[in-house]
Amino acid sequence: MAYVAARGGEEAIQQAEALYRRLLGPLDAGLVRRLEQALPYLLDRLMGEGSLYAPELAALALAQTGGDLYEAVLLLRAYRTTLPRLGYAEPLEPEALLTVRRISAAFKDIPGGQVLGPTLDYSHRLLHFEPQEAPPARTGAEAQASLHLPFVADWHRQNGLLAPRPPDPTPGPEIPDLTREPLLFPAPRAQRLQALSRADTGGVLALGYANMRGYGAIHPTVNEVRLAYAEVRLRHPVTGAVFSAGRVRYSQAEVLTKFRPGPGGKPALELGFAATLGWNEVKLIAAAMLDAAMDQGEPHPAHTEEFVLSHTEPVEAGGFCIHYKLPHYVTFLSNLLAHQGQPEEVEDA
Amino acid sequence: MPRLGYSYAFLDPGAKRELRRSLLKAVALPGYQVAYASREMPIARGWGTGGLQVTLALVGPEDVVKVMDQGDDASVNAANLRRFIARMAGVKTSTDTAQATLIQSRHRIPEEILGPEQILVLQVPYPEPLARLEPSFAKARELHADAEYGLVWLSLYEDLVRYRTATHGADYPVLVNGRYLMAPSPIPRWDNPKLHRAQHLTLFSAGREKRLYAVPPFTEVRPVEFEDVPFEVEDQRGWADWQTGVRHKFMTELPLPDGGSRHELSDRDYARKRAAHLPTQPTYFDEEGGFYQPGYLAPRTPPERLERLLQGEP
Repeated sequence: MAYVAARGGEEAIQQAEALYRRLLGPLDAGLVRRLEQALPYLLDRLMGEGSLYAPELAALALAQTGGDLYEAVLLLRAYRTTLPRLGYAEPLEPEALLTVRRISAAFKDIPGGQVLGPTLDYSHRLLHFEPQEAPPARTGAEAQASLHLPFVADWHRQNGLLAPRPPDPTPGPEIPDLTREPLLFPAPRAQRLQALSRADTGGVLALGYANMRGYGAIHPTVNEVRLAYAEVRLRHPVTGAVFSAGRVRYSQAEVLTKFRPGPGGKPALELGFAATLGWNEVKLIAAAMLDAAMDQGEPHPAHTEEFVLSHTEPVEAGGFCIHYKLPHYVTFLSNLLAHQGQPEEVEDA
Repeated sequence: MPRLGYSYAFLDPGAKRELRRSLLKAVALPGYQVAYASREMPIARGWGTGGLQVTLALVGPEDVVKVMDQGDDASVNAANLRRFIARMAGVKTSTDTAQATLIQSRHRIPEEILGPEQILVLQVPYPEPLARLEPSFAKARELHADAEYGLVWLSLYEDLVRYRTATHGADYPVLVNGRYLMAPSPIPRWDNPKLHRAQHLTLFSAGREKRLYAVPPFTEVRPVEFEDVPFEVEDQRGWADWQTGVRHKFMTELPLPDGGSRHELSDRDYARKRAAHLPTQPTYFDEEGGFYQPGYLAPRTPPERLERLLQGEP
């Protein structure tokens, strides 16, 4: 197909979209509801990267795009940005978390115990060729869940094992909002954690995995991985009373890095942290490791704050990648003419 | 009528206020990259969302909007942006450069001279002209603060030594108002001189990279060049539009099945007017290829002269 055929304006655009929709089939409320019920982990990934907790809208975005994750995240983001910021929630304390899964690789047992919770970690990855009945409604394990479990890092803190955080390069009293202010480097850590929270799962995994494999390895230990329902607590603007606006699926990870001199000269550990809306363990473990790697004095170039955060932004990375589908014939010709008649490097005289 | 259910021109008032403040700052500091939040837009990131945000922050009901891509208003992405702007702001649109009050463009500046009442918004993929030489934005900001641009001249010199030509094609860096090095967006070098002391305001915006900058009217814009080896635009002197025979405007090369090629005017609306013998505005380059500001473009350096210069002979 010639370039000229990729023109034609509005009619072509409408026809192309109509063809896409025809292939997807009808979209109705029933489909959206079924997606919401059947694919919570996919919705969690979408809502985390979209930084909008709205399962119904995430399911709608999924249905509307046929499961094209880049398009679905973009739909959520483009909707989210039109919404007003009404307030800031209270910080999440352990008592505001109904934890359903919390494990630590650093200790055999931890205060509150290892809670395996819902996971496929130790399942056999075999396809079920026969229809599966849903398991019995309530098991003993489930009854144990929904506990208010302390953060494992708090235990390290109490024991003077955590090194103080490096000073924030741009301290400020307010929490900067990544969606309302540009990300500049060096970035306040609050912005870094926001960026990791909505970063692309695959992108964070790739860079985190590179770090784990030895490119600037920090040899981390997973201190805690936690899946929970978090109470979104707001302060009433008039009465000042704190109330719950609802619950969201929430997850967080802590990793510990190598020992360095800490308070009083004693060896202490550095902590990497990441959290996101929805349950997304693989992203958080990688993100927490990257958070720790960014704090190193001389991180590997691929683990500097600027490199990681610039290249794991899903809407920007995906959008720019597919923009190469747009015509580039003017720039291509300009580059061609810049080299015309001079195709080979001139030999040193 | 503008689309209901969203703010006028899509952006909420907070986003518009931030954009307008950033634009004022950009105009006050010609060529300086102003960081802005850059909201997600309902079109793909990297497809003109930066330009679109600026256009939507400026557009009003009286405007006439033109959108072109590579010089062509009929390009699908240009058509898509145009219908989005029209849908959200309820404005008139036109393909005619002379009619438009607000022009959003990707990779081209129109051939007809823009007037003082017109605003040109250029979409920018890479706002940082130093990125090729210094990949860290944080370090590049320091280089800008110090006006430390030695790397750029060194790179141009290395080009001349290695290839006997500046190998930088489109997006050729310029120095604005004698102060900031600026990426003019991937316009061909042919369009670079049009920025110099232009009557119109040019705004540049990179949505993905969250930077916007400006060349206000009548601002000095100089390409990176050596006194004795001046900047050159693309050499299309032998090319003529296959339909109208027009020469000395930027041409697109169209490959033909027989292995040859033909050329056509890249500015398609200008081509339309020329083909239909309709009146046109004065153009930046005249029918003989002369630039409208005499003396701005120096004669090309003959290869023998460049060779002598590189051997250290005067």
